[in-house]
Amino acid sequence: MTTLEGGGRRPVVTPAEDAGPAERPRLAARRQPGTRGQWGRFAAILVFTVIALIPIYVTLFLSVRPGTFSSSTSIFTLENFTTVFADTGVLTWLSNSLGVTLATVLISVVVAAPAGYVLSRARSRAVSGYSLLLFIVQSLPIITAIVPLFVLFAKLGLADNLIGIVIVYVGSTMSVATWMMAAYFDSIPRALEEAAWMDGCSVFGSFLRIVLRNSLPGVLSTAIFAFLLAWNDYLVALVFLKSSNVFTLPVGLQSFFQQNATDWGPVMAVSVVMLLPPAIVFAVLNRYFSVGGIGGSLAGR
Amino acid sequence: MNRPIGSINRRAFLGLAAAAVSAPALTACDVSGSSSSAGGGSSDPIKFWDQPWGPTAYNDLGKKITEAYPPAAGSGKATYQVIPWNNFYQTYASAIASGTGPAVSTGGGFQPFQFAAQGAIAYADQMLESWKKDGFYDDFLPGLLETNKTDNGYAGVPWQIDARILWANEKLLEQAGVAAPTDFDSLLAAGRALKKIGVFGFGIGTGAGNNLGSHAMVAMMIMNGGGLFDPDGKTNCVTDRNIESMDFVRQLAREGIIDPASISYTIDNLNAQWSSRKVALGFQAAALQSQAAAVKDELVVNSPLAGPHGDKAALHFVNSIMMYQKTPSQQASEAFVTYYLKNIHQYWDAALVGGVPVLKSIIASEGFTKSPSQVKIVKEYTPISTTYAARGTKLTAGLAAVDGGQALTQFAQTMLQGKTDAKAALTTLQRGIEEAMK
Amino acid sequence: MSSASPATGIRRALSGVGAAGPGRPPRQTGSKRPSRGALTMLVLVAPSVILLVLINGYPLLYAASQSLHKGSLIITGDFVGVRNYTDVLTRPAFWNAARFTLVFTLVGVFGSWLVGMGLALLLRTRIPAGGIFKVLLMLPWVIPIVVSSTAWNWLVATPDSPIPRLARSLGFGELLFLADPTLAMITVCVFKVWVSFPFMMLMTSAALASVDQNVYEAADMDGATRWQTFTRVTLPMISRSTYISWILMTIFCVNDFPTIFLLTGGGPVDATSSLVILAYRTVFQDFQTGPGVAIAFIMTLALVVISTILFRQIRKGETA
Repeated sequence: MTTLEGGGRRPVVTPAEDAGPAERPRLAARRQPGTRGQWGRFAAILVFTVIALIPIYVTLFLSVRPGTFSSSTSIFTLENFTTVFADTGVLTWLSNSLGVTLATVLISVVVAAPAGYVLSRARSRAVSGYSLLLFIVQSLPIITAIVPLFVLFAKLGLADNLIGIVIVYVGSTMSVATWMMAAYFDSIPRALEEAAWMDGCSVFGSFLRIVLRNSLPGVLSTAIFAFLLAWNDYLVALVFLKSSNVFTLPVGLQSFFQQNATDWGPVMAVSVVMLLPPAIVFAVLNRYFSVGGIGGSLAGR
Repeated sequence: MNRPIGSINRRAFLGLAAAAVSAPALTACDVSGSSSSAGGGSSDPIKFWDQPWGPTAYNDLGKKITEAYPPAAGSGKATYQVIPWNNFYQTYASAIASGTGPAVSTGGGFQPFQFAAQGAIAYADQMLESWKKDGFYDDFLPGLLETNKTDNGYAGVPWQIDARILWANEKLLEQAGVAAPTDFDSLLAAGRALKKIGVFGFGIGTGAGNNLGSHAMVAMMIMNGGGLFDPDGKTNCVTDRNIESMDFVRQLAREGIIDPASISYTIDNLNAQWSSRKVALGFQAAALQSQAAAVKDELVVNSPLAGPHGDKAALHFVNSIMMYQKTPSQQASEAFVTYYLKNIHQYWDAALVGGVPVLKSIIASEGFTKSPSQVKIVKEYTPISTTYAARGTKLTAGLAAVDGGQALTQFAQTMLQGKTDAKAALTTLQRGIEEAMK
Repeated sequence: MSSASPATGIRRALSGVGAAGPGRPPRQTGSKRPSRGALTMLVLVAPSVILLVLINGYPLLYAASQSLHKGSLIITGDFVGVRNYTDVLTRPAFWNAARFTLVFTLVGVFGSWLVGMGLALLLRTRIPAGGIFKVLLMLPWVIPIVVSSTAWNWLVATPDSPIPRLARSLGFGELLFLADPTLAMITVCVFKVWVSFPFMMLMTSAALASVDQNVYEAADMDGATRWQTFTRVTLPMISRSTYISWILMTIFCVNDFPTIFLLTGGGPVDATSSLVILAYRTVFQDFQTGPGVAIAFIMTLALVVISTILFRQIRKGETA
């Protein structure tokens, strides 16, 4: 079965010592530390990373160059950042984006985890149909969905509203989030839950105490997916959010795009601001992908 | 199994759920925007939606002007909102469809006609009548107010003109040893001379989000006394004049006077080419000097070219302010629009907008006369400019589908590729336009 | 759907018919627990179903209605039945777009899967600063598409941009990455792979981490080579996750609007117009709402069929 933890480095351990979290050897299944050739692999991945990140350097580079309308001729300038923070609503946009994204992540996890549990554990045809439904409803392109959603939310009074947009984002993550959770839960053997049930634990209890508690990597994967969806979306936000006090970062970014010209300096500066929180989130959470996971080390699979 | 911890965990889970739901209220103090509709009385605020027609300072000034509006008796104040250009039609359409639209707005060149055809526009006839009485009507350049006339009334009121000007980089022309072009032949000669110094003599772009290429094609047709339509409004693209113009463009492409990469140039790519002195001649908007700031002092407005048969014409787009049916009160809308139009001179005073003004008073004003390029445009281009409807004069909603539509874009790109015969391309274009206008 | 009530099915499932093995005897600790379990299941799944219906189901029905009428975004218009569909299916532009969508999706899905899996495998080995690479390699997916398409445009759009200049100096001649139709298609596909490989890397990495290492030991003891281990052991063990990621990536590619539109707008003379681009342009540039939504709906139906087929594959693999 599958899990969705991020891969992590783990020390070598023989299968007999599996009292705690899973510890797995490298694919090569050697008994030595397996560092042979590590510098070769380092070089390979370094080359690839350096090339793959070229567009990122371009973004950083353009953010410290004078903007389209600037009269400065220096090679390196921080004026884009100073203009952006002083003259625009970027701080408002940032706090709105953070609020919306945080809410989306929390609600997505809270709603998708139980649904994923049902998908993973229950095996009736209704559940099977539900899981197919998750793919089907994901299939309509978002551009055709925006206008009906807007009209619906306007009727509910949630149109130009951050709560409304959180609901749309959560709904958009549902499909993938539920699948991610289900796939991860599949890796936690029912044997553990059944033991709990024998002790009189309820289904909800076993869900919480056994499955969820050991699913931190799966939860984190879902959280990251929801985070990126809510953080980067602009198609929905453009149509839904009209008042400048509720702009998120992607919408605020659009205010620099004039009819026949774009002020690239501020655009790139705001882009750098947009890049930092997800990058930080990744960097911080990367560690936790290695924790947990009972999966393969138990017998009976 | 740690049962005591288990019960805490359940509570913790539910607590987490509660926190998640209330998170937006806590993290974003300001959750709802100011456009959530108010009660519905006539003293409700007048919602005015504007676009980024200039740098962000433009919208700041617009907000100031709007909020300084002194409400007439019984009507509310005015509120200002910026609608980004990206997907703006979707924004307006969804707002109107859900009844949360504005009372007044600016917008795309054909937007008044589109929404008028769908019954969402409040016609401006009454307001225009009132202007005739107080003389404001005469402040408009001749013929401009008529461009908004539909069968049911005036769908909007112009507030600026988006002109398509032939710009020239004086210094590069000098370097190449050519004079400013005055007709098609001299344009070709200039292009060939510029090519020798590695500069392109016809700057154009038909890439993502770039309509300038389509506009340039139509401009070339109009300049030769042609156009997309007959004087009575019927689609007629396959005319001798058009074929002549497009053969000329094809020649420019084949001789390398047009950058082969321009088929994919965005507006920013094009501006960058101007700034890096790779382009010396081309059709652009009136604000090129601020968009290609590096060569600001080298750019001059080239006088309009004469067509091969002596015609002199140019293309422009009239941007209008429009009023919608859904408003606290029609009177209030009209009062606001009148106030706003009497105050838009502030944009030109502060040089925040690049379009051509529609009011004679602004054209005569000090702020405007400071810019020789703008003055030249008004003097030489505006009197001979016509809209897409050339050779007719009546604008319709269908033109919106022509302007941004796939048929015209494909046509412009096909001509730039230089592989297709002009007549064949024009025939395809005609078919496409007829489909779009149906 | 099952003719018995869902609760019965869930009850049956909870009592042991399922992942852990079909041979287990059902637990009989009283009739109260199974129905409470079933109710719990329903409660657990209810919020997500509500959201799905609201956010995904309602627009689906609305779009279906729009595609059967000839209206605008504001007005519903007259009912025209399937005329929009027949109209759209006879346009050469539609089949052109369908062809490109196929190419784009195949390259996007398999390209990003191969790159992502390669990186995931590489990163599972011991590499100095491996953690840093893991974070850095997520950036192409993290960066907002508006920004990355600008960066790519800056890199390749004009003959003086860095990459064409590099190509010239390496002797490749004048490469017009966005202006030449074939090159534009390649550029767009490469861009999509660039944006998507981190997602595949994440999914594959997680799947690989869940594989029971006992199996590797057994394979090693049987004398399997690295390649044999990989193809006969690893790949089958992560097959479920692989199929799911393929389905998801297919949906992402077919429906991907910003990636192509921001870079080429549909490409030189529609060379890079995929079906979703065509749908968007038909609705928002040609202002033909009915036919445009019909295109989107045809896409949706195609995706549903593909998903269902692939999904059955997964189901079959599980019960085997």
